[in-house]
Amino acid sequence: MTDDKDMFICRCEEVTLREIEQAIDEGFVTVTDIKRVTRAGMGLCQGRTCTKTIARIISQRTGKPLDEVLPKSYRSPVRPQKMQAVENEEFNDAKNS
Amino acid sequence: MTRSADVLVIGGGIIGLSCGFYLSKRGKRVFVLDTGGFADGASGACDDMILFQSKKPGINLELTFESLELYKSLLTELGGDLGFANLGGMVLIENQQELEIMEEFVAQQRSYGLDVEVIDKREMLKKQPFLSDHIIASTYSRMDSQVDPFAVMRGFERKGTSYGMKVFRRNGVVGIDRIGTGDFQVSTVDGTIFQTPVVINAAGTWAGQIGAMVAANVPITPKRGQIVITERVPPIGDTNIWSAKYLVTKLRSDVVVDLNEDERSLGLSLALTRSGGDTYLIGSTREFVGFDKRTTIAGIRAIINQTLKVVPKLREVNFIRSIAGLRPSTPDGRMLLGEHAGIEGFFTAAGHEGDGIALAPITGKLLASMVCHDPVDQRLDELSPNRFAKS
Repeated sequence: MTDDKDMFICRCEEVTLREIEQAIDEGFVTVTDIKRVTRAGMGLCQGRTCTKTIARIISQRTGKPLDEVLPKSYRSPVRPQKMQAVENEEFNDAKNS
Repeated sequence: MTRSADVLVIGGGIIGLSCGFYLSKRGKRVFVLDTGGFADGASGACDDMILFQSKKPGINLELTFESLELYKSLLTELGGDLGFANLGGMVLIENQQELEIMEEFVAQQRSYGLDVEVIDKREMLKKQPFLSDHIIASTYSRMDSQVDPFAVMRGFERKGTSYGMKVFRRNGVVGIDRIGTGDFQVSTVDGTIFQTPVVINAAGTWAGQIGAMVAANVPITPKRGQIVITERVPPIGDTNIWSAKYLVTKLRSDVVVDLNEDERSLGLSLALTRSGGDTYLIGSTREFVGFDKRTTIAGIRAIINQTLKVVPKLREVNFIRSIAGLRPSTPDGRMLLGEHAGIEGFFTAAGHEGDGIALAPITGKLLASMVCHDPVDQRLDELSPNRFAKS
């Protein structure tokens, strides 16, 4: 039997709503915490799809405001890049934050 | 609000959670405090190795053997597979000089009981078919293993919690007071006071700041490591691989290894390990840049360039992320483990540099032994924080 709890929230790493809610109930209450304990957001899209969904799930379940649960920083690259991209001149001009 | 515990562990990284787990298993009421979230420090920004081949014969190598055995028992004790894998490791050799140095080093390690050998190019290519032609030989050890640091930390926390351990996150320590030899009063950001006879300083890279609160000298310096992570790809070889350059530098300061300007200034030496998520983690730099844990374009570019020189096939593979962490490094390359002379009840368990994952279980177990006054293990004298006490 499947129900709503078996829905994939992170499709890249196939993490379900049930796993995310379990982690929240164990005290992991930021998107970054949830990523590290469930792998949600660690896949190919790097959370571009699921970050906001997970933030809302945490917020609804804990009552914390969204800006407290969203990640504080992002790291390069902003989208997947072939390794050979570093050989391009433009790579040197990329800005890091 | 005041809370009391038998032991307060400051730092909820893999070392602090291991200490908390082993102490609570022995019946202590333990609180673990962390200033950030889950694995916000070095434990969440590292590779995943229980690596033998990087170690000179001595206490670190000896403890790695014991830690590996503990990991095997933790697989049952903590439940779950912890991402444990035993792929073995190879150190890649690029020229005759490196070969001679590595042959001598391997002989030393073998005499210490490590199962490791130098293999020729043909054998090497059987295990790693995609290596560049300029690699002339390699070492091979079947011992090198790995775990998923996140799974281990969560395992320690779950099991520790079942013994009564409690973890408080996002609540950093702001001060430690003590009247005479009474309990420590540890105050935190949210105003709580934790009262305890025993404090464990397991704050990793930040352990010096905690030590300073009780006038203990804890000389730990952050050494930044940047890592690049690939997309999921099929295995490119049988084992994890490292470049011999770092080891050669460490073993023979008189030898100038072949590194370009970027690689030298970043302290870069290749480590390519397959993670439990079927991605590759590729590192790593060794930079002294204070507490700045950002990744840099120069770092990412240098790591990838070095990787493509060794495994050109990876040109077509996507990298999806970069991370950086701050290794807690000490002046002599050994951790601090033990009670501080003159500050009864204050222990430090920190300074593992790049060996935190490998040595976490044995560190927690030994620390718990010390706190519980088991017979003294003389081997650990050389890890005592008192070697750095100011006289």
